Amino acid sequence: MVHIEVDGSRCDGFGFCEQAAPEVFGLDDDGVVTVLVAEVPDELSEKAEAATRACPVAALRIGR
Amino acid sequence: MTTTTPLTSDLDLFSDEALTDPYPHYKALRDLGPAVHLTRHGLWFISRYEQVRSALGDWETFSSGRGIGLNDGFNDAWGSALINMDPPAQTEQRKLFTDRLSPRALRPVAADIDRRADQLAADLVTRGSFDAVTDLAQDLPVHVIMDLIGWPTEGRDQLLDMAAGWFDSAGPACPRTAASVPKVEALMGYLAEVVAKENLVPGGFGWTLLEAHKAGQIPVEGAIGLLAGYVVAAFDTTISTISSSMWLFARHPEQWDLLRSEPSLVPAAFNEIVRIESPIQVFSRTTTREVDLGEGAVIPAGARVLHSYGAANRDERHFPDPDRFDIRRNPVDHLGFGYGNHACAGQGLARLETHAVLKALAARVQRIELTGEPVRALNNITRGFQSLPVRIH
Ligand code: HEM
Ligand code: SF4
Repeated sequence: MVHIEVDGSRCDGFGFCEQAAPEVFGLDDDGVVTVLVAEVPDELSEKAEAATRACPVAALRIGR
Repeated sequence: MTTTTPLTSDLDLFSDEALTDPYPHYKALRDLGPAVHLTRHGLWFISRYEQVRSALGDWETFSSGRGIGLNDGFNDAWGSALINMDPPAQTEQRKLFTDRLSPRALRPVAADIDRRADQLAADLVTRGSFDAVTDLAQDLPVHVIMDLIGWPTEGRDQLLDMAAGWFDSAGPACPRTAASVPKVEALMGYLAEVVAKENLVPGGFGWTLLEAHKAGQIPVEGAIGLLAGYVVAAFDTTISTISSSMWLFARHPEQWDLLRSEPSLVPAAFNEIVRIESPIQVFSRTTTREVDLGEGAVIPAGARVLHSYGAANRDERHFPDPDRFDIRRNPVDHLGFGYGNHACAGQGLARLETHAVLKALAARVQRIELTGEPVRALNNITRGFQSLPVRIH
């Protein structure tokens, strides 16, 4: 189980996280990232980590 | 001062020879250590993926506030530009760009971009032979951003040479940098003239800046500087990406076949092109404290550190077989657009334009062939072509 930390103020709404892991990330009505699952289950954790690396502005981090 | 011997090299990364083919030099410098002192220009150089990515993600240590160019003249002249600022001021000014350039804001122009790319591709197929730089790559980057700014149609082409000069002017003290000064002056003069005559279409980005200036929110230099930001950042970068894609696919026909058979690979191909031929090769930061990168590489406080997007994107420590062009690789974490608080604000637009061109060509063209020697556009900061004669059929 991993936990995603989001800094919404940095998000520019490029949507790469959503493309890489649509089960975990979405964009809200203002085009800002939202995390769809509070705790990411193990089978998605690798995908979620890849998605956080794809964020160009470092708005996403894997927490514990 | 430290007791460790710094890792040094007397290589000139800005000679014609090195700019023509920098990759063997990058590899040698990557292998030498995590940071190398370039004695000729008095600069530090970081070129491995992990170090470049970490530096870009840590503005408190690797600051843009003293400029990201390699000479004081450039850094002083552009001190109040977005690229040369640190948060919190940078965060505020960046919104002026991201509000206009976010994928959501660009959605209304996406269909126009696709239409323009389709028309262009159809015309070029009819012509058969042409120059992939002037006849293909320059079209969308120039006209799309100029329409968004609301720039008059006449005079757009003049800006191309001036914008390339702007990138050169960020280089180290050398003849190429000195030669660019008149071009930058011409650019500023031209922008100032358009602003003074209010020769901008109402509703465009340019008009918004003009209104902000008239309302007393920004000084006239601020408006001109922001306008310059749009113009220079959007031109050579995207032109280089489209030119390089033609060059790469001409030399790797099997990759073109793959793209044609699977057009859904267009976004992955775009990422791979920006990785392997990074349009912006280097910029710099200044250290705010001593930084120990290991292996004896200790960068002192207050040092100017060149970080190479181009070298990091070819780092075999991160990308297996990095010199191989492979559109299936889909390197989503490449550093061609930078990373962190200064990550390219216009990448959504660059993506729309390049995707549109690749899609339009893949639907019509079986083969891209070089019909003459490509000529590189040697520039201190960018990597691209001056001319690229091709035939498509
Ligand atoms: C493939 C095309 C492009 C590439 C490779 C590219 C590359 C880059 C890079 C590497 C940076 C980061 C500079 C740094 O680390 O300090 C950057 C910043 C920037 N780019 Fe791009 N760029 C491209 C296209 C565009 C376009 C089309 C626009 C505008 C319409 C644009 C606008 C900007 C702006 C405004 C910044 C400054 C962001 C900041 O400092 O916060 N770029 N670009
Ligand atoms: S990838 Fe980063 S910037 Fe893009 S939407 Fe996700 S969090 Fe926001």
